[in-house]
Amino acid sequence: MKKVCSIVSLLFILLPALVFAGGAKETSAVAPEKQMTHDELVAAAKAEGNLTIYTISSRTAKIGAAFEAKYGIKTSTTQLKDSEMVEKTSKEAAANLDAADIIFCQDGARVYPELILAGYVKNYVPSSQASLIAEKYQDPLVWEVCNKVFIYNNEKEGQTLTNVWQLTDPSWKGRVQMKDSFQEGINMNFFTMLTRDDWAKKLSDAYKDLYGKDLVLTTKNAGYEWIKMLYKNGLVLGKSDTTIAENIGAKGQPQQLVGLFTANKLRTAKDKNLSLAPSQNVKPFSGFFYPVYAFITSNAKSPNAAKLFLEFSMTSEGWAPFDTIGDYSPKADLKNSEDTISFDEWTKMLVFEDPQWCAENRAEVEEFISSII
Amino acid sequence: MIKEIMHVLYRMKSFLRKPYNIILCFMLLFLGYLTLVPMVTMIFDTFTVHPAEAMRLKRPVGSFTAMHWVKVLFDPSSLSVFYKPLLNSLITSLGACLIALVLGGVFAWLVTRTNIRWKKTLSSFFIFPYIMPSWTLALAWYNVFKNSVVGGVPGTFTALTGLQTPNWFAYGAFPIALVTGIHYSPFAYIMIGGILRNMDANLEEAAMMLNTNRNRIMRKITIPMVLPAILSTFLLVFSSAMSSFAVPAFLGLPVRYQVLTTQLYRTLNGLNPGQGYCMAMIMILLGVSILAFNQRLTGTRKNYTTVTGKSSNISFINLKKMRTVISILMFLLIFFVSILPLFSFALESVLLLPGNYSAGNLTLQFWIGSAEQNSIANSEPGLLLNPALWKALFNSLKLSAICAITAGSLGFLCGYAIVRGRGTKLAVVVDNLAFFPYLMPSMAFGAIYLSMFSTRHGVLPSLYGSFFLLALIGTVKYMPFASRSGINSMLQLSNQIEEAGEILGVGWWKRMIRLIVPIQKTSFISGYLLPFISCMRELSLFVLLVTPANRVLTTLLFYYNEKGWSQYSNGINLMIVLIVLLINGVVNKATGASIDKGIGG
Repeated sequence: MKKVCSIVSLLFILLPALVFAGGAKETSAVAPEKQMTHDELVAAAKAEGNLTIYTISSRTAKIGAAFEAKYGIKTSTTQLKDSEMVEKTSKEAAANLDAADIIFCQDGARVYPELILAGYVKNYVPSSQASLIAEKYQDPLVWEVCNKVFIYNNEKEGQTLTNVWQLTDPSWKGRVQMKDSFQEGINMNFFTMLTRDDWAKKLSDAYKDLYGKDLVLTTKNAGYEWIKMLYKNGLVLGKSDTTIAENIGAKGQPQQLVGLFTANKLRTAKDKNLSLAPSQNVKPFSGFFYPVYAFITSNAKSPNAAKLFLEFSMTSEGWAPFDTIGDYSPKADLKNSEDTISFDEWTKMLVFEDPQWCAENRAEVEEFISSII
Repeated sequence: MIKEIMHVLYRMKSFLRKPYNIILCFMLLFLGYLTLVPMVTMIFDTFTVHPAEAMRLKRPVGSFTAMHWVKVLFDPSSLSVFYKPLLNSLITSLGACLIALVLGGVFAWLVTRTNIRWKKTLSSFFIFPYIMPSWTLALAWYNVFKNSVVGGVPGTFTALTGLQTPNWFAYGAFPIALVTGIHYSPFAYIMIGGILRNMDANLEEAAMMLNTNRNRIMRKITIPMVLPAILSTFLLVFSSAMSSFAVPAFLGLPVRYQVLTTQLYRTLNGLNPGQGYCMAMIMILLGVSILAFNQRLTGTRKNYTTVTGKSSNISFINLKKMRTVISILMFLLIFFVSILPLFSFALESVLLLPGNYSAGNLTLQFWIGSAEQNSIANSEPGLLLNPALWKALFNSLKLSAICAITAGSLGFLCGYAIVRGRGTKLAVVVDNLAFFPYLMPSMAFGAIYLSMFSTRHGVLPSLYGSFFLLALIGTVKYMPFASRSGINSMLQLSNQIEEAGEILGVGWWKRMIRLIVPIQKTSFISGYLLPFISCMRELSLFVLLVTPANRVLTTLLFYYNEKGWSQYSNGINLMIVLIVLLINGVVNKATGASIDKGIGG
């Protein structure tokens, strides 16, 4: 007992000291930054030499290649899973290693506390681009938005889903698929958003709309209730959106299946002989939008090259590899030329991730889902 | 006073004069640092607030909390978060153990003790499932037996027969235990076969001459002799099955069958890492208790050192009429678990659209196509044209070779020193330390090494991102294979052989190089092969520590698999198996050692 006490007290003595030490470092790191002109930035970036990029998308490497061709700065791109990204970036930044200079990451619930609040990344909006981005996407900078939509098999019939509560109905039992939300944080963030008052309200209204009566709650609110009923109705969990798309879209299946997965998969549907179409205007949401954030790391050894790269990636030249269905820029001038539905239209139909809300409440939702699974 | 000091000094001198004591002391320091420090770190991790949890708990990062343990053990949700997965883990691991022991044990007995046909061929094919990453077997099971629950193109079995497989057969406990069991049965075969092969057959022959019947010989002699091997196999397979993640993740998900590792992965990846560390601790405790149990059982009766040289004249049991039947049955079994998956990997890697087996759908574009041709798979160039693949292949080979040599040599020395110093406290401690990494769940082990070595640590500089760190963790993690094999084979080697050299005044180095190593050559080299294979197919241990410069084949494989580009992942899988087979073949030709020749001696 004595030992335990001494260990505990030691912890209490040591840990605040550590925390404060961290805090002190943060404040000293903030140095007044003077604005550089574009030419100065290019010169400074070239002087730094190499640029290391961590990203969640393989296509970022294409931007890297175009950047290299234009500025002659060598880039090396590493693709990481969302959780690996947070893990790696934070540890490398804490040890001030020569690692990533710029990161493109997702999963606000982890990025917000573990990278932003911890001071391991800096928010940077290129001044030449700022006027083209709505303010709500500027801090933290939303570099890209991706959508996961209820996509259905349209081989035999059109969109039959008009209200998300249908998915909890016995007639839909076992016909709905999505990626295990514990494998990809953004899916869990989507569930977490539904438990916020505004979405819970919309969900309970939609229930009344469909059944003409009030929802009887067995959980905290309509958000939790929908999640519970969805899982209880035989939601099929998958490992990857690609396989789910193949499962949903395969031809010759007896009944229509629906999956909540990335609209990216619509792009290759035809080549893969899949019948897939996105649901639209489902009440109260047709899926969700998740942001990809771009940051410059606190341990960046080529901060200027990182700034230049970020700026380049937000011009139409750099953005080109992402001009596809399922990828949208919040910048007004970068319209999606492949998708008939615009970014603004999708925004009205989809649930948008709020990193702070997710960071504060996701653990509870995770536990909730663990307990009903 | 002076007399006392002299006495102590004298004792120290005589202690250090024995080389095995020096080895034990070195191992104590080496392993103590590399296994106990992570362990203590992990214990602290179960009591602290992590960055991911700080927002929710509204407490500073690093402050003390007992919440993780409470949530895991005493919360209303504990039942589904922890206890049910624990039960499922125990069920599937026990099932896997039984399957592995029965399959491997029976096969080992058939090969070493009977006149079954095609021994050599059967023996080398039997180890295939162990070479493949276990989850690829799960993938093969899934492709063949999946039913309409997951939708999509029907599984091969349904496509051929028109029958729907029941859920319990396609997903959940049954296939998890079966696939894991099949994966580890070569391991059981290697361990048990090694003992059977080297066991002095004179004992059996003596009994035979005294007219004892076969059953009695089996019960009274053969089984007791191999019992220690069976128990260590049980221990190893059980702990591996408990900490295997990918198989249950694959086959459990469609019916939401949770085991401890899938829960561990969820919590470590999610916002409750503290709970994950608690679960990892519990898994380690379970492993330690099995280890202790195993030692109690075998420790009391370990004096089976009946081997003085090598016995040569094992008389084979004549299977008579059953010979051909049993041989064919074995061949069929091996065909299904070893050869068919390889065919399926090869086939899946040349399908343009997965699930469509018509001739028009066959293509080599995923092997030799250019990036432009492969727009269907996000413009990845074909495997053989992909520089990333070649780099990863080179890294994998380099890493596996280094890990194998260091783990194999250190493990062998460890085995030697532990057996020579048997009975001393030091030997017991080192024995346990050397085995300990085996019980650490790979994923948690990797996570801890990441935080341990990302900063400067005493005399050690920051190792993060270096190839050395990968080699270090691989060495520590795979030493148990080599040290077990070393202990097992040294136990069978009579002390007299070395003593004879000692009396003649032969130095330690010479004794090792001229006596011990040559006698134990096969098991010594086999002790390299096992870490090599394990390293070639390891994923979760390295996944957090790999940087772009040292990416390995399995991380690439997993990446393709996660993306759902089955052609690439099947192709890489095929490559891994073929490379390991090739290397095993070369080593076998050159030295006579082989994975299937056993690590038991």
